[in-house]
Amino acid sequence: MKARFILFFFFYVSLISAQKYATRSGQTSFIGSEETFEQIKAINKVSTAIVDSSNGNIAILLFVSAFKFEIALMEEHFNENYMESSKYPKATFVGNIQDFKYEELTNTENNYDIVGVLAIKGIERSVTINGRMQKTDQGISLKTNFIVLTEDYNIKIPKVVRNKISKTINIKAEYELIEKI
Amino acid sequence: MNKLNYFIVVFFFSPFVFCQNDLLDEISKETSYKNTFEFPAFKAMKIVNNQSTKLAEKKDLYLYVAHRFGSIKGGLKTLFGLDYANTKIEILYGLLNNVQVGFSRESFKQTYNLHVKYGIKKQTENFPISIVGYNSINLDTSLDEVLYPNLDFKERYVYISQLLISRRFSERFSLQIAPSLVKHNFLTTQSKTDYNYILNSGGRIKISKRSSFNIDYSHHLNRLSNSTEKNVLSLGIDMETGGHVFQLLFSNTQASDEAGVLTSAEGDWLKGDIFFGFNILRVF
Repeated sequence: MKARFILFFFFYVSLISAQKYATRSGQTSFIGSEETFEQIKAINKVSTAIVDSSNGNIAILLFVSAFKFEIALMEEHFNENYMESSKYPKATFVGNIQDFKYEELTNTENNYDIVGVLAIKGIERSVTINGRMQKTDQGISLKTNFIVLTEDYNIKIPKVVRNKISKTINIKAEYELIEKI
Repeated sequence: MNKLNYFIVVFFFSPFVFCQNDLLDEISKETSYKNTFEFPAFKAMKIVNNQSTKLAEKKDLYLYVAHRFGSIKGGLKTLFGLDYANTKIEILYGLLNNVQVGFSRESFKQTYNLHVKYGIKKQTENFPISIVGYNSINLDTSLDEVLYPNLDFKERYVYISQLLISRRFSERFSLQIAPSLVKHNFLTTQSKTDYNYILNSGGRIKISKRSSFNIDYSHHLNRLSNSTEKNVLSLGIDMETGGHVFQLLFSNTQASDEAGVLTSAEGDWLKGDIFFGFNILRVF
Protein backbone atom coordinates (compact mmCIF):
# COMPACT_ATOMS: atom_id res chain seq x y z
CA MET A 1 0.00 0.00 0.00
CA LYS A 2 2.81 2.28 0.90
CA ALA A 3 4.59 1.48 -2.32
CA ARG A 4 1.47 2.28 -4.30
CA PHE A 5 1.14 5.61 -2.54
CA ILE A 6 4.70 6.48 -3.39
CA LEU A 7 4.11 5.59 -7.02
CA PHE A 8 1.02 7.75 -7.14
CA PHE A 9 2.91 10.54 -5.52
CA PHE A 10 5.76 10.44 -7.99
CA PHE A 11 3.45 10.14 -10.91
CA TYR A 12 1.42 13.21 -10.01
CA VAL A 13 4.43 15.25 -9.06
CA SER A 14 5.95 14.51 -12.42
CA LEU A 15 2.73 15.66 -14.12
CA ILE A 16 2.56 18.91 -12.20
CA SER A 17 6.15 19.77 -12.87
CA ALA A 18 5.79 19.12 -16.61
CA GLN A 19 6.63 22.46 -18.17
CA LYS A 20 5.56 23.08 -21.74
CA TYR A 21 6.83 25.45 -24.38
CA ALA A 22 4.68 26.25 -27.40
CA THR A 23 4.11 28.50 -30.41
CA ARG A 24 1.25 29.15 -32.78
CA SER A 25 3.21 31.22 -35.25
CA GLY A 26 6.02 28.86 -36.19
CA GLN A 27 7.48 29.26 -39.65
CA THR A 28 7.72 26.21 -41.86
CA SER A 29 8.87 26.63 -45.43
CA PHE A 30 9.89 24.41 -48.28
CA ILE A 31 11.62 24.52 -51.63
CA GLY A 32 10.49 21.87 -54.07
CA SER A 33 11.92 22.94 -57.38
CA GLU A 34 14.78 21.79 -59.49
CA GLU A 35 17.25 24.53 -60.43
CA THR A 36 15.03 26.49 -62.80
CA PHE A 37 13.97 30.08 -63.24
CA GLU A 38 10.64 29.30 -61.64
CA GLN A 39 11.20 28.55 -58.00
CA ILE A 40 8.62 26.48 -56.20
CA LYS A 41 8.63 27.62 -52.61
CA ALA A 42 6.09 28.39 -49.95
CA ILE A 43 5.92 29.40 -46.34
CA ASN A 44 3.52 28.54 -43.55
CA LYS A 45 3.65 31.14 -40.79
CA VAL A 46 1.01 29.64 -38.53
CA SER A 47 2.56 26.30 -37.64
CA THR A 48 1.81 25.12 -34.12
CA ALA A 49 4.44 23.35 -32.03
CA ILE A 50 4.76 22.22 -28.44
CA VAL A 51 7.63 20.77 -26.41
CA ASP A 52 7.35 19.17 -23.00
CA SER A 53 10.58 20.16 -21.31
CA SER A 54 10.30 17.45 -18.65
CA ASN A 55 10.74 14.59 -21.11
CA GLY A 56 11.57 16.12 -24.50
CA ASN A 57 8.30 15.08 -26.11
CA ILE A 58 7.34 17.22 -29.07
CA ALA A 59 4.31 17.68 -31.32
CA ILE A 60 3.96 19.86 -34.42
CA LEU A 61 0.76 20.57 -36.31
CA LEU A 62 0.29 22.57 -39.46
CA PHE A 63 -2.42 23.16 -42.00
CA VAL A 64 -1.45 22.41 -45.57
CA SER A 65 -3.63 25.17 -47.01
CA ALA A 66 -1.75 27.75 -44.90
CA PHE A 67 1.31 27.44 -47.16
CA LYS A 68 1.52 30.66 -49.16
CA PHE A 69 3.16 30.84 -52.57
CA GLU A 70 4.24 33.83 -54.62
CA ILE A 71 2.27 32.59 -57.62
CA ALA A 72 -1.37 31.93 -56.79
CA LEU A 73 -1.74 29.27 -59.47
CA MET A 74 1.05 27.27 -57.84
CA GLU A 75 -0.81 27.45 -54.56
CA GLU A 76 -3.93 26.18 -56.26
CA HIS A 77 -2.11 23.26 -57.84
CA PHE A 78 -0.30 22.49 -54.57
CA ASN A 79 -3.61 22.23 -52.73
CA GLU A 80 -5.67 20.65 -55.47
CA ASN A 81 -3.33 18.27 -57.24
CA TYR A 82 -0.36 17.46 -55.06
CA MET A 83 -1.43 17.71 -51.41
CA GLU A 84 -5.21 17.30 -51.80
CA SER A 85 -5.65 19.60 -48.84
CA SER A 86 -9.43 19.34 -48.75
CA LYS A 87 -9.04 15.61 -48.09
CA TYR A 88 -5.91 15.84 -45.94
CA PRO A 89 -5.94 19.26 -44.28
CA LYS A 90 -3.22 18.63 -41.68
CA ALA A 91 0.38 17.53 -41.51
CA THR A 92 1.72 16.47 -38.13
CA PHE A 93 4.87 15.38 -36.39
CA VAL A 94 4.86 13.61 -33.05
CA GLY A 95 8.08 12.52 -31.40
CA ASN A 96 10.76 12.82 -28.80
CA ILE A 97 13.91 14.89 -28.64
CA GLN A 98 16.58 12.37 -27.72
CA ASP A 99 18.68 13.09 -24.61
CA PHE A 100 16.87 16.36 -24.08
CA LYS A 101 17.43 18.04 -20.73
CA TYR A 102 16.07 21.52 -20.36
CA GLU A 103 18.78 22.40 -17.84
CA GLU A 104 21.48 21.65 -20.40
CA LEU A 105 20.19 24.15 -22.97
CA THR A 106 22.47 27.14 -23.48
CA ASN A 107 22.48 30.36 -25.45
CA THR A 108 24.27 28.64 -28.31
CA GLU A 109 22.77 26.06 -30.63
CA ASN A 110 23.04 22.40 -29.72
CA ASN A 111 22.23 19.55 -32.04
CA TYR A 112 19.63 16.95 -31.11
CA ASP A 113 18.16 13.94 -32.83
CA ILE A 114 14.40 14.12 -32.91
CA VAL A 115 12.80 10.72 -33.42
CA GLY A 116 9.15 10.48 -34.28
CA VAL A 117 6.37 10.00 -36.78
CA LEU A 118 5.80 12.44 -39.62
CA ALA A 119 2.28 12.27 -41.07
CA ILE A 120 1.54 13.88 -44.44
CA LYS A 121 -1.47 13.11 -46.63
CA GLY A 122 -2.60 10.57 -44.08
CA ILE A 123 0.58 8.52 -44.44
CA GLU A 124 2.66 8.02 -41.29
CA ARG A 125 6.38 7.41 -41.46
CA SER A 126 9.01 7.09 -38.79
CA VAL A 127 11.74 9.65 -39.21
CA THR A 128 14.78 10.98 -37.41
CA ILE A 129 15.34 14.70 -37.84
CA ASN A 130 18.27 16.79 -36.73
CA GLY A 131 17.15 19.76 -34.65
CA ARG A 132 19.13 22.74 -33.41
CA MET A 133 17.94 24.08 -30.08
CA GLN A 134 18.95 26.89 -27.79
CA LYS A 135 17.65 28.85 -24.86
CA THR A 136 16.11 32.24 -25.62
CA ASP A 137 14.82 35.10 -23.47
CA GLN A 138 11.30 33.81 -23.60
CA GLY A 139 11.82 30.09 -23.93
CA ILE A 140 13.33 27.72 -26.46
CA SER A 141 14.28 28.16 -30.08
CA LEU A 142 14.02 25.12 -32.33
CA LYS A 143 15.34 25.07 -35.88
CA THR A 144 15.57 22.23 -38.33
CA ASN A 145 16.23 21.42 -41.95
CA PHE A 146 15.30 18.09 -43.42
CA ILE A 147 14.32 16.38 -46.61
CA VAL A 148 11.07 14.66 -47.48
CA LEU A 149 10.71 12.38 -50.48
CA THR A 150 7.50 12.95 -52.40
CA GLU A 151 7.14 9.24 -53.17
CA ASP A 152 7.08 8.45 -49.44
CA TYR A 153 3.85 10.38 -49.05
CA ASN A 154 2.06 9.48 -52.26
CA ILE A 155 2.67 12.87 -53.86
CA LYS A 156 2.59 12.13 -57.56
CA ILE A 157 4.48 14.33 -60.00
CA PRO A 158 3.32 14.10 -63.61
CA LYS A 159 5.90 13.53 -66.32
CA VAL A 160 5.53 16.95 -67.93
CA VAL A 161 6.67 18.80 -64.82
CA ARG A 162 9.25 16.26 -63.66
CA ASN A 163 12.11 18.53 -64.65
CA LYS A 164 10.62 21.39 -62.64
CA ILE A 165 9.46 19.73 -59.47
CA SER A 166 12.04 17.94 -57.38
CA LYS A 167 11.41 14.52 -55.86
CA THR A 168 13.19 15.65 -52.73
CA ILE A 169 11.56 18.52 -50.89
CA ASN A 170 13.75 20.66 -48.64
CA ILE A 171 11.90 21.64 -45.51
CA LYS A 172 13.02 24.32 -43.13
CA ALA A 173 11.36 25.11 -39.81
CA GLU A 174 11.96 27.78 -37.20
CA TYR A 175 9.93 27.76 -34.03
CA GLU A 176 10.27 30.22 -31.18
CA LEU A 177 8.68 28.33 -28.32
CA ILE A 178 7.39 30.33 -25.40
CA GLU A 179 6.74 29.04 -21.91
CA LYS A 180 3.16 27.94 -21.61
CA ILE A 181 1.25 28.93 -18.51
CA MET B 1 3.52 -8.22 -6.01
CA ASN B 2 2.09 -8.86 -9.45
CA LYS B 3 -0.35 -6.09 -8.84
CA LEU B 4 2.44 -3.72 -7.95
CA ASN B 5 4.31 -4.58 -11.10
CA TYR B 6 1.18 -3.84 -13.03
CA PHE B 7 0.95 -0.41 -11.49
CA ILE B 8 4.54 0.31 -12.24
CA VAL B 9 3.96 -0.55 -15.86
CA VAL B 10 0.77 1.46 -16.11
CA PHE B 11 2.00 4.58 -14.34
CA PHE B 12 5.52 4.82 -15.57
CA PHE B 13 5.24 3.64 -19.12
CA SER B 14 1.78 4.49 -20.33
CA PRO B 15 2.06 8.22 -19.63
CA PHE B 16 5.27 8.23 -21.53
CA VAL B 17 3.69 6.56 -24.53
CA PHE B 18 0.53 8.61 -24.55
CA CYS B 19 2.13 11.91 -23.73
CA GLN B 20 3.31 12.57 -27.26
CA ASN B 21 -0.16 12.20 -28.71
CA ASP B 22 -1.61 14.16 -25.82
CA LEU B 23 0.61 17.03 -26.88
CA LEU B 24 -0.79 16.81 -30.40
CA ASP B 25 -4.35 16.81 -29.04
CA GLU B 26 -3.48 19.80 -26.91
CA ILE B 27 -2.27 21.93 -29.82
CA SER B 28 -5.07 20.68 -32.09
CA LYS B 29 -7.55 22.21 -29.67
CA GLU B 30 -5.68 25.46 -29.43
CA THR B 31 -4.82 26.19 -33.04
CA SER B 32 -6.61 29.28 -34.27
CA TYR B 33 -6.10 28.71 -37.99
CA LYS B 34 -9.11 29.23 -40.20
CA ASN B 35 -8.92 27.85 -43.69
CA THR B 36 -9.02 30.71 -46.16
CA PHE B 37 -8.09 28.75 -49.25
CA GLU B 38 -11.03 28.07 -51.52
CA PHE B 39 -10.78 26.01 -54.65
CA PRO B 40 -12.01 27.86 -57.74
CA ALA B 41 -15.02 26.56 -59.65
CA PHE B 42 -13.13 26.53 -62.95
CA LYS B 43 -9.52 26.07 -64.00
CA ALA B 44 -9.35 28.77 -66.64
CA MET B 45 -10.81 32.24 -67.14
CA LYS B 46 -13.14 30.74 -69.72
CA ILE B 47 -15.39 27.72 -69.33
CA VAL B 48 -15.23 27.01 -73.06
CA ASN B 49 -16.22 30.13 -75.01
CA ASN B 50 -17.75 32.09 -72.16
CA GLN B 51 -16.10 33.81 -69.24
CA SER B 52 -15.93 31.87 -65.96
CA THR B 53 -15.72 33.23 -62.42
CA LYS B 54 -11.97 32.51 -62.32
CA LEU B 55 -9.82 35.64 -61.95
CA ALA B 56 -6.11 36.26 -62.28
CA GLU B 57 -4.69 36.71 -58.79
CA LYS B 58 -2.94 39.93 -57.93
CA LYS B 59 0.30 40.43 -59.90
CA ASP B 60 -0.17 37.24 -61.92
CA LEU B 61 0.34 37.75 -65.66
CA TYR B 62 -1.39 35.42 -68.11
CA LEU B 63 -1.06 34.94 -71.84
CA TYR B 64 -4.22 33.59 -73.49
CA VAL B 65 -3.87 32.36 -77.05
CA ALA B 66 -7.01 31.18 -78.82
CA HIS B 67 -7.36 29.54 -82.22
CA ARG B 68 -10.67 28.84 -83.93
CA PHE B 69 -10.43 26.93 -87.18
CA GLY B 70 -12.91 27.01 -90.04
CA SER B 71 -16.04 24.88 -90.16
CA ILE B 72 -15.27 21.16 -90.09
CA LYS B 73 -17.90 20.96 -92.87
CA GLY B 74 -15.09 21.96 -95.25
CA GLY B 75 -13.99 18.32 -95.07
CA LEU B 76 -10.69 17.16 -96.49
CA LYS B 77 -10.48 20.11 -98.89
CA THR B 78 -9.79 22.50 -96.00
CA LEU B 79 -8.58 19.70 -93.71
CA PHE B 80 -11.71 20.14 -91.62
CA GLY B 81 -11.32 23.89 -91.42
CA LEU B 82 -7.66 24.01 -90.50
CA ASP B 83 -7.00 26.31 -93.46
CA TYR B 84 -9.02 29.14 -91.99
CA ALA B 85 -7.88 30.06 -88.53
CA ASN B 86 -9.12 32.86 -86.33
CA THR B 87 -6.42 33.80 -83.84
CA LYS B 88 -6.77 35.78 -80.66
CA ILE B 89 -3.91 36.86 -78.44
CA GLU B 90 -4.74 38.22 -75.04
CA ILE B 91 -2.77 39.48 -72.07
CA LEU B 92 -4.38 39.26 -68.64
CA TYR B 93 -3.08 40.82 -65.46
CA GLY B 94 -4.21 40.72 -61.85
CA LEU B 95 -4.13 44.43 -61.11
CA LEU B 96 -5.51 44.25 -57.57
CA ASN B 97 -6.94 41.60 -55.33
CA ASN B 98 -9.97 40.33 -57.25
CA VAL B 99 -9.50 42.74 -60.16
CA GLN B 100 -8.24 41.51 -63.51
CA VAL B 101 -7.66 43.58 -66.63
CA GLY B 102 -7.01 42.32 -70.12
CA PHE B 103 -6.27 43.41 -73.64
CA SER B 104 -6.64 41.37 -76.80
CA ARG B 105 -6.59 41.37 -80.58
CA GLU B 106 -8.56 38.88 -82.61
CA SER B 107 -8.68 38.15 -86.34
CA PHE B 108 -12.47 37.83 -86.28
CA LYS B 109 -13.73 41.31 -87.30
CA GLN B 110 -10.17 42.50 -86.57
CA THR B 111 -11.30 43.16 -83.04
CA TYR B 112 -9.42 44.88 -80.25
CA ASN B 113 -10.81 44.26 -76.81
CA LEU B 114 -10.24 45.78 -73.42
CA HIS B 115 -11.81 44.21 -70.37
CA VAL B 116 -12.06 44.44 -66.63
CA LYS B 117 -13.23 41.55 -64.48
CA TYR B 118 -13.81 41.92 -60.77
CA GLY B 119 -14.76 39.64 -57.92
CA ILE B 120 -17.81 40.74 -55.98
CA LYS B 121 -18.24 37.76 -53.68
CA LYS B 122 -16.32 34.52 -53.28
CA GLN B 123 -17.78 31.14 -52.49
CA THR B 124 -16.71 30.15 -48.97
CA GLU B 125 -17.94 27.83 -46.25
CA ASN B 126 -20.36 30.58 -45.28
CA PHE B 127 -21.45 31.79 -48.71
CA PRO B 128 -22.77 29.41 -51.38
CA ILE B 129 -21.81 31.14 -54.64
CA SER B 130 -19.15 33.20 -56.33
CA ILE B 131 -20.21 36.43 -58.05
CA VAL B 132 -17.98 38.16 -60.57
CA GLY B 133 -18.62 41.15 -62.81
CA TYR B 134 -17.24 41.37 -66.36
CA ASN B 135 -17.25 44.48 -68.56
CA SER B 136 -15.51 44.87 -71.84
CA ILE B 137 -15.41 47.04 -74.89
CA ASN B 138 -14.69 45.84 -78.42
CA LEU B 139 -13.30 47.93 -81.24
CA ASP B 140 -14.32 46.48 -84.61
CA THR B 141 -11.63 47.67 -87.04
CA SER B 142 -12.92 45.54 -89.92
CA LEU B 143 -15.75 47.94 -90.76
CA ASP B 144 -14.65 49.40 -94.09
CA GLU B 145 -14.86 53.17 -94.53
CA VAL B 146 -15.32 52.69 -98.26
CA LEU B 147 -18.45 50.68 -97.58
CA TYR B 148 -19.62 52.90 -94.72
CA PRO B 149 -18.37 56.41 -95.51
CA ASN B 150 -20.42 58.07 -92.77
CA LEU B 151 -19.18 55.73 -90.07
CA ASP B 152 -18.40 57.54 -86.84
CA PHE B 153 -15.40 56.09 -84.94
CA LYS B 154 -17.44 55.39 -81.84
CA GLU B 155 -19.79 53.26 -83.93
CA ARG B 156 -17.04 50.67 -84.04
CA TYR B 157 -17.50 50.04 -80.33
CA VAL B 158 -19.37 47.08 -78.88
CA TYR B 159 -20.06 47.00 -75.14
CA ILE B 160 -20.38 43.79 -73.13
CA SER B 161 -21.58 43.46 -69.53
CA GLN B 162 -21.94 40.17 -67.73
CA LEU B 163 -22.72 39.04 -64.22
CA LEU B 164 -21.10 35.66 -63.62
CA ILE B 165 -22.55 33.53 -60.84
CA SER B 166 -20.97 30.15 -60.14
CA ARG B 167 -21.20 27.44 -57.57
CA ARG B 168 -18.72 24.69 -56.91
CA PHE B 169 -21.00 21.88 -55.80
CA SER B 170 -18.18 19.45 -55.16
CA GLU B 171 -14.52 19.05 -55.93
CA ARG B 172 -15.49 17.74 -59.37
CA PHE B 173 -18.68 19.51 -60.31
CA SER B 174 -19.37 23.24 -60.86
CA LEU B 175 -22.14 25.21 -62.54
CA GLN B 176 -22.46 28.79 -63.64
CA ILE B 177 -25.14 31.14 -64.97
CA ALA B 178 -24.44 34.53 -66.45
CA PRO B 179 -27.03 37.11 -67.51
CA SER B 180 -25.35 39.19 -70.23
CA LEU B 181 -25.91 42.32 -72.27
CA VAL B 182 -24.22 43.08 -75.58
CA LYS B 183 -24.75 46.55 -77.06
CA HIS B 184 -23.77 47.28 -80.66
CA ASN B 185 -23.33 50.88 -81.77
CA PHE B 186 -23.54 49.97 -85.43
CA LEU B 187 -25.61 47.28 -87.13
CA THR B 188 -24.37 45.79 -90.41
CA THR B 189 -27.71 44.16 -91.22
CA GLN B 190 -31.38 44.78 -90.49
CA SER B 191 -31.57 41.42 -88.79
CA LYS B 192 -29.34 42.48 -85.90
CA THR B 193 -30.49 44.31 -82.82
CA ASP B 194 -28.45 46.83 -80.85
CA TYR B 195 -29.34 45.70 -77.33
CA ASN B 196 -28.88 41.92 -76.99
CA TYR B 197 -30.03 40.20 -73.80
CA ILE B 198 -28.49 36.78 -73.40
CA LEU B 199 -28.52 34.14 -70.70
CA ASN B 200 -25.37 32.05 -70.49
CA SER B 201 -25.01 28.82 -68.60
CA GLY B 202 -22.10 26.48 -68.22
CA GLY B 203 -20.53 23.78 -66.14
CA ARG B 204 -17.68 21.40 -65.69
CA ILE B 205 -17.07 17.87 -64.49
CA LYS B 206 -13.54 16.89 -63.61
CA ILE B 207 -12.51 13.65 -65.27
CA SER B 208 -9.23 13.42 -63.40
CA LYS B 209 -7.18 15.62 -61.08
CA ARG B 210 -5.88 17.65 -63.99
CA SER B 211 -8.56 17.46 -66.64
CA SER B 212 -12.23 18.26 -66.94
CA PHE B 213 -15.09 18.15 -69.39
CA ASN B 214 -16.72 21.55 -69.89
CA ILE B 215 -19.86 22.77 -71.57
CA ASP B 216 -21.43 26.16 -72.07
CA TYR B 217 -24.60 27.36 -73.75
CA SER B 218 -25.82 30.87 -74.57
CA HIS B 219 -29.48 31.60 -75.06
CA HIS B 220 -30.43 34.84 -76.81
CA LEU B 221 -33.59 36.34 -75.30
CA ASN B 222 -34.59 39.03 -77.82
CA ARG B 223 -33.33 37.93 -81.22
CA LEU B 224 -35.20 39.33 -84.21
CA SER B 225 -37.33 36.83 -86.16
CA ASN B 226 -35.39 37.36 -89.40
CA SER B 227 -32.02 36.76 -87.74
CA THR B 228 -29.78 33.97 -88.97
CA GLU B 229 -27.79 33.87 -85.74
CA LYS B 230 -27.85 30.80 -83.59
CA ASN B 231 -27.68 30.08 -79.90
CA VAL B 232 -24.20 28.87 -79.05
CA LEU B 233 -23.34 25.46 -77.66
CA SER B 234 -19.69 24.74 -76.91
CA LEU B 235 -18.10 21.55 -75.62
CA GLY B 236 -14.54 21.41 -74.40
CA ILE B 237 -11.89 19.61 -72.44
CA ASP B 238 -9.50 21.34 -70.03
CA MET B 239 -6.06 19.86 -69.51
CA GLU B 240 -3.82 21.46 -66.94
CA THR B 241 -0.07 20.93 -66.80
CA GLY B 242 1.72 23.04 -64.23
CA GLY B 243 1.66 26.63 -65.48
CA HIS B 244 -0.45 25.86 -68.58
CA VAL B 245 -4.08 25.12 -69.21
CA PHE B 246 -5.01 23.69 -72.62
CA GLN B 247 -8.63 23.89 -73.68
CA LEU B 248 -9.73 21.87 -76.72
CA LEU B 249 -13.21 22.65 -77.94
CA PHE B 250 -15.97 22.32 -80.49
CA SER B 251 -18.51 25.09 -80.94
CA ASN B 252 -20.95 26.47 -83.49
CA THR B 253 -19.22 29.85 -83.46
CA GLN B 254 -15.83 30.72 -84.88
CA ALA B 255 -15.45 33.85 -82.75
CA SER B 256 -13.69 33.77 -79.42
CA ASP B 257 -14.56 37.17 -77.93
CA GLU B 258 -17.80 37.60 -76.00
CA ALA B 259 -19.58 39.89 -78.47
CA GLY B 260 -18.66 37.61 -81.36
CA VAL B 261 -19.65 34.44 -79.54
CA LEU B 262 -22.91 35.82 -78.23
CA THR B 263 -24.18 37.74 -81.27
CA SER B 264 -22.44 36.38 -84.38
CA ALA B 265 -22.78 32.59 -84.26
CA GLU B 266 -23.87 31.18 -87.59
CA GLY B 267 -22.87 27.53 -87.30
CA ASP B 268 -25.29 24.73 -86.63
CA TRP B 269 -24.56 21.58 -84.64
CA LEU B 270 -27.35 19.63 -86.34
CA LYS B 271 -25.91 20.31 -89.80
CA GLY B 272 -22.36 19.51 -88.71
CA ASP B 273 -21.44 23.15 -89.27
CA ILE B 274 -19.16 23.42 -86.25
CA PHE B 275 -15.71 24.72 -85.49
CA PHE B 276 -12.76 23.14 -83.79
CA GLY B 277 -10.49 25.32 -81.71
CA PHE B 278 -8.28 25.56 -78.68
CA ASN B 279 -7.21 27.99 -75.99
CA ILE B 280 -3.80 27.95 -74.37
CA LEU B 281 -3.43 29.72 -71.07
CA ARG B 282 0.00 30.37 -69.64
CA VAL B 283 0.86 32.02 -66.35
CA PHE B 284 4.02 34.03 -65.78
